[in-house]
Amino acid sequence: MQATKSFERAFLKHLLRGFRLSAVSYKSMSLQERKSAIKLSADVAMASARGSRKWTRGLITKLSKEDDHRSFLRLILGTEYERLTKPCHGSWKIPRSKKIVRRSLRVCSRRKNNLRAPHGVKSSVLARTLVEKRTHALKRLVPGGESLDGYSLLDEALDYVISLRAQVDLMQKLLTTFEASKLSALSKCTLPERKASFVGEAGIHQQKLTEKAQLRPKLTL
Amino acid sequence: MSSRRPRSWQPSSASRITDEQINDLVSKLQAVLPEARIRRSDRVSAAKVLQETCNYIRSLHREVDDLSERLSELLASTESSSAQAAIIRSLLM
Repeated sequence: MQATKSFERAFLKHLLRGFRLSAVSYKSMSLQERKSAIKLSADVAMASARGSRKWTRGLITKLSKEDDHRSFLRLILGTEYERLTKPCHGSWKIPRSKKIVRRSLRVCSRRKNNLRAPHGVKSSVLARTLVEKRTHALKRLVPGGESLDGYSLLDEALDYVISLRAQVDLMQKLLTTFEASKLSALSKCTLPERKASFVGEAGIHQQKLTEKAQLRPKLTL
Repeated sequence: MSSRRPRSWQPSSASRITDEQINDLVSKLQAVLPEARIRRSDRVSAAKVLQETCNYIRSLHREVDDLSERLSELLASTESSSAQAAIIRSLLM
């Protein structure tokens, strides 16, 4: 399963718009500041390109918990921001203290174990506990996952993984393209030599230029 | 089979999700994980799929972090923004 072409296009558009809005190309930013700005743009772009899903809402909500992110989010998402951070009435849950729930689960499982297997733990109980444990871990990883039931969690996790993979692939493509353009910009001063190598004449920098030339096909300007 | 699924996997609403639907999702999830081609023939347990999914998500997060850092180094030294705009246009076509 893969992300759609329209998702890819929307992601790139939002990502680059985010770069411009947070001015990542300005030299005044430190490396770490720029990295955080890029990461923020990437996450917002991914959520925005995907549209309204439980995990995208969860992600935007999580990002907007930090004050300095909120103005950026409002700027890049516009009216979408209010819509995505509005609480979803479909999955309304009674807020429960986590400690109490955890304690009651432990008591329940202990009681179950005592009734069922006085002489050792049954494999089915162990398997179920393992699934529960892993489910809790997944809930923490998928944004907005804490309030989801098992089936929805799996559904959101699948969608989230597909989107994350696309995010990684596209950022990698962007990186490669930027690197290639940098190299071609550097080689502009040796343009006559590059022309010569294309025609087939031997050049002093023949090898270096053919290496750079190999990267050129990526630019379809 | 249903004894292995914790009760918390059933949604709070009235509609009950069948085991078949859950298995379908689990196999779809297994298919997007890396090395899916090797393992698709034999049925993998749900617990394993959940663990692999968690590991995969964590590794994807790390990749995004790493790519952000590399992009940050690269964008620091890029001069013209018009060159960037041309690149962007080419990527979007």
